[in-house]
Amino acid sequence: MAENAKPVTRRAAIVGGNRIPFARSGTAYARASNQDMLTATLDGLVARFGLQGESVGEVAAGAVLKHARDFNLTREAVLGSQLAPTTPAYDVQQACGTGLEAAVLVANKIALGQIESGIAGGVDTTSDAPLAVGDDLRRVLISLNSAKTVQDRLKALARIRPGMIVPEIPRNAEPRTGLAMGDHAAITAAEWEIGREEQDELAARSHQRMAAAYDRGFFDDLVTPFLGLARDNNLRPDSSVEKLAKLSPVFGTGEGATMTAGNSTPLTDGASAVLLASDEWAEAKGLPVLAHLVDAQTAAVDYVHGGEGLLMAPVYAVPVMLARNGLTLQDFDFYEIHEAFASTVLATMKAWEDAAFCKEKLGLDAPLGSIDRAKLNVNGSSLAAGHPFAATGGRIVASLAKMLHETGPGKRGLISVCAAGGQGVVAILES
Amino acid sequence: MAESAAGRTVLEQPPNMAALFAKAALTARGRGGELPGTRLARTGVTVAPANLADYARVCRFPLADALPATYPHVLTFPLQLALMSDRAFPLALPGLVHVRNRIDVLRPIGTTEPLDLEVWAERFARHRSGATVDLCASVRSAGAEVWRSRSTYLARGATAPDGAPESDVTVAVGDLDRAVATWRVPDDSGRRYAQVSGDVNPIHLSGLTAKAFGFKRAIAHGMWVKARVLAALENRLPGALAVDVAFRKPLFLPSTVTLSTAQADGGWDVAVRHATNGSEHLVGTVRPR
Repeated sequence: MAENAKPVTRRAAIVGGNRIPFARSGTAYARASNQDMLTATLDGLVARFGLQGESVGEVAAGAVLKHARDFNLTREAVLGSQLAPTTPAYDVQQACGTGLEAAVLVANKIALGQIESGIAGGVDTTSDAPLAVGDDLRRVLISLNSAKTVQDRLKALARIRPGMIVPEIPRNAEPRTGLAMGDHAAITAAEWEIGREEQDELAARSHQRMAAAYDRGFFDDLVTPFLGLARDNNLRPDSSVEKLAKLSPVFGTGEGATMTAGNSTPLTDGASAVLLASDEWAEAKGLPVLAHLVDAQTAAVDYVHGGEGLLMAPVYAVPVMLARNGLTLQDFDFYEIHEAFASTVLATMKAWEDAAFCKEKLGLDAPLGSIDRAKLNVNGSSLAAGHPFAATGGRIVASLAKMLHETGPGKRGLISVCAAGGQGVVAILES
Repeated sequence: MAESAAGRTVLEQPPNMAALFAKAALTARGRGGELPGTRLARTGVTVAPANLADYARVCRFPLADALPATYPHVLTFPLQLALMSDRAFPLALPGLVHVRNRIDVLRPIGTTEPLDLEVWAERFARHRSGATVDLCASVRSAGAEVWRSRSTYLARGATAPDGAPESDVTVAVGDLDRAVATWRVPDDSGRRYAQVSGDVNPIHLSGLTAKAFGFKRAIAHGMWVKARVLAALENRLPGALAVDVAFRKPLFLPSTVTLSTAQADGGWDVAVRHATNGSEHLVGTVRPR
């Protein structure tokens, strides 16, 4: 059954990636727009792989926080980049899953033979975030615009009230629940009894591992400096459990509140891009194949009325993908679980270990089991780098592909990214 | 670039341009004579990131790690203004018209490189309606020249010294009959560019102040129009380039103009024209070098 379920296609190769260092909101990239950052990131990728003036099959990228004027953000970035202006592009948006989803879309077209090469990316800024006028004022302005006579215009203007002149600032909150993502994560952390100390341990390890990876040059061919920044400025190499323990909780309430600014990702600006191709295209260009994208899966949970945690969708997506590929959770050399919050990573792993949850919620005979922590986020993840929503997927895909390539052929990596709206995107890479 | 040690002055601070414009207007009368051999310089100048970001927005450049080709002009123009407003300068600043500008970018300049600036005037030349003078600028980084420019200004009715050469203010371009973009240039364009460049010449700021200097309405800064042309071509250009433009009819604010481009000699010919009457505001060439 598993053999027949998948049509015979080719596997898309991951040739490499590029990103700009990620910057905490309001710092190094405070004046940069999404388009500035995505263009610079594409140009860095173009320079790295000698694609100046060339057309690739497509560029798929997106931003979560996007100005209305940026409706064609990715195409505009392509037109401003060193890629040939004949390169097609489109925007993708699946909240924090955007970057990985974009990679899956490009990989699928390559797998089907529709394109030979493509770039997947993502960008986000919380420094240059769009402001919207409130709904009431917006309606007045629209009727003002369509008014034909002076009288109509005056009538429309007369409807404006001082209270309307307050812009709506985008919030990192779920529209249907009114809760911030951190508040949702805190509920899940409490449900799964995720302790403060294990969260701080995971956060400190993320910082230490990413700092070590920078120090040994791991990111030299993955990151291009931008606007004076050469490393992610959220990164704290000297982070420790002791230091993190001093922070006060910011999400959750009362005694049980465990989530701090230290074990949650900060608002971040940044962009990333990944070059994917068929093996033939890469070979013809003399470019390396770091890994292949083997399979991917998305899932969504009912976090509104269904009682599931907002960020738990990857927990559901992974077993479906494993079954389709005849793999167990232990058949991987690396695990990249996006650290939206330390508690999210810990709750995800705990759910896979829980026999009752795996049986009742995932419909499995046996729990997926535990994963070797030594193989988890070995070069750090979002708690250290920061998390410019749509840029995280590209960061993970490029880094994991390089890790697999360095380790040798036949190595396998699992990516898991949770996203707003109760969604999750997961994928398997193999060297 | 021969340095006359005697006539070279290194300024510690950028001069105050509003004060220079005022001084130039007050001392306009009774000017004449030869061009001074003075050179004004500043050393170790670094770009203010906020100003660069503002400039990029106003001129539509992306914010990137290399300076826009026209940006060093923002650094060198105050020195040129100091030179022109000085009493020793033979031509009165009010009434000088920027008619040609050539910029050579010898290599892309990083936004954080400390730069050494030097400006001087040369080539006092005869023109059919007066005289022209070239204000030159050279920018060095770590001892090597990375950027230079030559701005030709016309003084109508002025007389060049005996034996002066003919001025050269034409830039030849090929056919440019295809408009690729239409720009609506709003009323406040002069004020917005003045804010980021410091070029607060009253002819750009408002209709009223422009009228005082003989223009019917405020006119756009030529260097802003040039910058927007380059921004429109930005990613189609090599890192080292020469961009030479002639400023023709003033671009009155507000206006709607068109940009025409055509590939030529590995680079581009460009024209900015009035959208309805077709009069030429700018024609120029952009070439790799």
